[in-house]
Order: sequence, then C-alpha cells, then structure tokens
Amino acid sequence: MTASDAIAWTLLAVGTAATLLSCLGVLVMPNVFDRLHYTAPASTVGALGIALSIVVEEGWAAASVKAMLIFVLLVTTNPVLTHATARAARVRQFGHWVALRAERVEDPEAAP
Amino acid sequence: MTAWLFAAVCLLIGLVPCGLVCLRGTPMERLVGLELAGTVDTLIFLSLAEGFHQAIFFDLALVLAILSFAGGLVFVRFLERWL
Repeated sequence: MTASDAIAWTLLAVGTAATLLSCLGVLVMPNVFDRLHYTAPASTVGALGIALSIVVEEGWAAASVKAMLIFVLLVTTNPVLTHATARAARVRQFGHWVALRAERVEDPEAAP
Repeated sequence: MTAWLFAAVCLLIGLVPCGLVCLRGTPMERLVGLELAGTVDTLIFLSLAEGFHQAIFFDLALVLAILSFAGGLVFVRFLERWL
C-alpha cells in the first residue's frame, strides 16, 4: 500500500460516509424543506471525495477528467434543482411564491 | 474486491433510506427522495467505473447526472402546476 493509495482510500471513505449520512438525514427530517437541506452533502462532499480519490488513483487520465466533470456537473445542477423543488413546495403550500407579510425581515437600518 | 467496489456496495445501502422516503409522506417529500437517489446513483456508477477499470463506464455516470437533473426539473414543473 503506497501513500497515494492511502490518500485515495481516505477520500473515498469520507465521500461515502458523507453520502450515507445525507441519506440518513433525508430519512429522519420531518418536512420537505428540512429534507431538502440534506441533499446537498451527497452532491458536494460526497461527489468531491469520490472524484478526488479517482484523480489521486489514476493521475492524468481520461477517467479522472470525466470524474471531475461529473463532480462539476453535480455541484452546479444540484442547487438549481433544490431551489426549484423548494419553490414548487412553497407554491403548492400557499398558491404563490411571494413572501408573506409576517415573514418579511425587518431592516435594522430603517427608521422606526 | 477493490476499495471502489466496496464503496459502491456501501452506497447501495444508502439507497434504502431514499426508497423509504419515496414510499411515505407528501408528493414533494417523495420527490426529494427521488432527487437524492439520482445523486447517489451517479456516485455508485462513478465508483463502479473506477472499480472495474473501464474508462467507457464513466460516460454512464455523466449521462445519469445530466438526465436526473432534467428529470427532476420536469417532475418539479408537473407537481407545481397540475398535481
């Protein structure tokens, strides 16, 4: 076992653990918006760990380029999907996407 | 059995909670379970491709990442307007 093997396996273990924990979080949380938060670690930490472990193992090869491409794709598309899902959940709940009066955050700079 | 194949088997276990979420709750909660399952599937294909040392298998993960995003957006549009 070489040093690069150890680094690759550690990254792989971190990525797999993050993905499994985010699956568990989605199962445990009570409602849609809480569940949505737990889809993020799988596509950021999980994908980064697995893609970096492949890069460390393979060096400069077609496989590592494709792995990093998949990581970039997951990182850019997952926030879009999460936002669209949260928006749809809110539209289903209230019928529109506009903030309610009670939810408006008060501006601390504004005069009373 | 290499480390990557073992990781793929571990990630397969992670699909069980996603399936349980898809079986219970409101339609939006089920959709969240489906989206997470798409991400986990992509990572499983990534691990399997490295475990089998086949460069062509990485294309499968790439296509799945794109298609699960597009499919999720279609489901979101459908659930927001009509269901």
